[in-house]
Amino acid sequence: MLSMALLLVGVFAVGAFAAEKVFTIAYNEEPQTSDGQMTTSCYMIPMNVYDRLIECVTTAPGKSALVPGLATKWDVSKDGKVYTFHLRKGVKFQNGEEFTAKDVVYTFDRMLDPKTKALNTDILDFVLGAQDRMDGKAASTAGLKALDKYTVQITLAKPFVPFLAIMASPQASILNEKFTKPLGNKYGLSAKATCGTGPFILKEWTLNDHHTMVANPNYFRGRPQIDKFVVKIVTDPETMRMLFEAGEIDLFDCDFAMSQIPYFTSHPKWGKQTVSGPRVGLYYYSINQAIKPFDNVKVRQAFQMAVDRKLILQKMFYNHGQLENGVMPKGLIHYNPAQAKIEYNPEKAKALLAEAGYPNGVDMEIALVASTGSQWQKMSEIIQAMVAKSGFRVTLKQMDEAAFYATRKEGKLPMYTNKWSADFNDPDNFFYTFFGPKGTVARSYNNNSPEVFAALDKGRSETDFTKRGKLYAELEKKIVIDQAAWLPMFSLKHIYVVQPKVKKFVVPWNGWSDFPVYETRVE
Amino acid sequence: MKKFILKRLLISIPVLIGVTVIIFFLLNVVPGDPVALMMKEHISVDVVARVRAQMHLDDPAIVRYFRFLGGALKGDLGESYKLNRPVTSLILNAFPNTLVLALWAALFAWIVGIPAGILSAVKKYSLPDNLFMGFSLLGVSMPVFWSALLFQYFFAVKLRWLPVAGFEDWRYVVMPAIVLGWSSAGIIARLTRSSLLEVMRNDYIRTARAKGLHELPVIFGHALKNSLLPVVTVMAIQVAGLLAGAVITESVFGIPGVGRIAVNAIQARDMPLLQGAVLFETTLVILGNLAADILYAFLDPRIKAA
Repeated sequence: MLSMALLLVGVFAVGAFAAEKVFTIAYNEEPQTSDGQMTTSCYMIPMNVYDRLIECVTTAPGKSALVPGLATKWDVSKDGKVYTFHLRKGVKFQNGEEFTAKDVVYTFDRMLDPKTKALNTDILDFVLGAQDRMDGKAASTAGLKALDKYTVQITLAKPFVPFLAIMASPQASILNEKFTKPLGNKYGLSAKATCGTGPFILKEWTLNDHHTMVANPNYFRGRPQIDKFVVKIVTDPETMRMLFEAGEIDLFDCDFAMSQIPYFTSHPKWGKQTVSGPRVGLYYYSINQAIKPFDNVKVRQAFQMAVDRKLILQKMFYNHGQLENGVMPKGLIHYNPAQAKIEYNPEKAKALLAEAGYPNGVDMEIALVASTGSQWQKMSEIIQAMVAKSGFRVTLKQMDEAAFYATRKEGKLPMYTNKWSADFNDPDNFFYTFFGPKGTVARSYNNNSPEVFAALDKGRSETDFTKRGKLYAELEKKIVIDQAAWLPMFSLKHIYVVQPKVKKFVVPWNGWSDFPVYETRVE
Repeated sequence: MKKFILKRLLISIPVLIGVTVIIFFLLNVVPGDPVALMMKEHISVDVVARVRAQMHLDDPAIVRYFRFLGGALKGDLGESYKLNRPVTSLILNAFPNTLVLALWAALFAWIVGIPAGILSAVKKYSLPDNLFMGFSLLGVSMPVFWSALLFQYFFAVKLRWLPVAGFEDWRYVVMPAIVLGWSSAGIIARLTRSSLLEVMRNDYIRTARAKGLHELPVIFGHALKNSLLPVVTVMAIQVAGLLAGAVITESVFGIPGVGRIAVNAIQARDMPLLQGAVLFETTLVILGNLAADILYAFLDPRIKAA
């Protein structure tokens, strides 16, 4: 009898010991594909199923470093145009194929191949021959070469310093040629049509419901600690919160419901379960210089001065962040803490408006997307009341998302607010995106400044770290203070709440809602 | 009857074509670019222009419409712009989930609505009548998203009886089916009550009572069948409506059904997917109405004769 009892206890003990370690989260949008080349958002699958030549990892809160990924080391030619990557040997794709230089060349050439219809060609369009490949004038990309089985050489058309950082972005995930090629445009559309080298294997995918990734036992860094990673698609933030409180998901991402932050942070149980990290990104208000009276720099400066950003940060975002005064947020390389501050001075703003020829104030619009989170609307309503003191009569213009982006693309959208978090750790990701020759129109800034464009080009090719930092610091002052081309607001901490069973969760270096879970531990 | 059904089906063809024209026209009139929407914050003018050309989005609207119509006639609804998957398979994969939800919701509505209506009619102006009619009024007037949140809070978060959201086994269907079916139950209860009360005033009921029949046989043997005539019609139309209109319920409870596909398609300006979803749901409504007419004819011989 005793032995039977012991046996039973043993069986249960083994059962309990062998219980699956499952980490379940909710995400608010269905990924259209697992293929990082074909999407500009929803990178949860690419970040966990694939690897990149280089990885960007969080080294301390708000700090990151580029570390070897599928490449163990790399050399850069003196002219900054030729990058040679020495690849890791013995890495296997999830279909059993060995990872080689051919896969790297195939992956990047596929992105530029017009048949792929890739959305992320921006990350490679500076490679030699990329334009010809994208235009269908070449059958391959001249700048991509496999020197031998484990060495890849990428030649750029001109020096481009952010290249290494870009190689660590999820868009640059490496695919297996043998697996991917026969699938054509069907690649990445289902679990069966997905194959990477990463720590997790995409096992199951039900559209608009959930997708499940399981641990890759052959992962080259070692099997992940968790067995299963489940991502539920939940569009309603209230449902998401209840799923968390009912214990059906293990992590609540406060970015999906910012209004819940005080509830969770002050809750006797959940308050102790919050995990947060700085975000390498900032909230901002655009200023469209093609819309009068914002063609006048004094009007733009007056608007900057009329907004009490500190008050908004305190009252609306519970002080979970810091004011930003430039283009580069905290955590980005070359971040300049000494950047000149934007002053809050409603009286001076009013005087500036009068000086600009508008003593009776001006009428203006702020565009809002009706379907997005209410925090944008609230913030704009606060600003509407705030700037009225200085003479800005704001009308809030509700638009649907499609109309918003279509109008913005034409450069005709009035002022709007949004946030931008780093895709890769380089100032170019901020400066060129918003103030480059095409970005400034496509994002409805129309800050068509030849000086800025020239400096941006110089910044891309300046290989001296110190000189580059100085260049961006000067450019930041020119854009934000002298030209008053936008209104940076603040960078916010990204707050997550985790269930007690989650023993380790690493906030991604850039503060995204997409993150690798390789290091996550659950009981 | 066969002629009647065939005629109704033929009439539905121009209706379906008309629906596609309206949807196509509306999506062309309102601003929005599916590629710009796919790229959102990462917009690049060059990429948008190239991908639009590759997807033939720059072709004239009329060319795109007839390309769609030509495909649809062959049973090919095209590929979703955003999801890159065949529209037909997206809809057919999602439909069983919507069907399960709608049928359980309808079943709940009938099981609760009809007895509640009968009891209210029999015991009119009594406490049960007031309770049932209050329940009906609440079901009809309370927005689905609100009742859904209340159900989730009490039954999933507080009592932990049922899961909050998702679609895995029968437990996941209980709350959404009740929430979705509540409004239909309310309508059925009110309709059953008023219809039964009206029938109970007829002479043949008085005759049955005068002959000494007990109240139960009078109600169930004589009154109920006639009073259910309008109710059955509404029930058939409701099933079609539930199949086509569970959008909010599907969103709040995270059910991967056709309604969610349609909403996502509108937001993404995904023309092929939206056309497909609308065509599919219009067909369901047409078939639901047809079923109601046929049922009515079967139940009421006067209509069949006419």
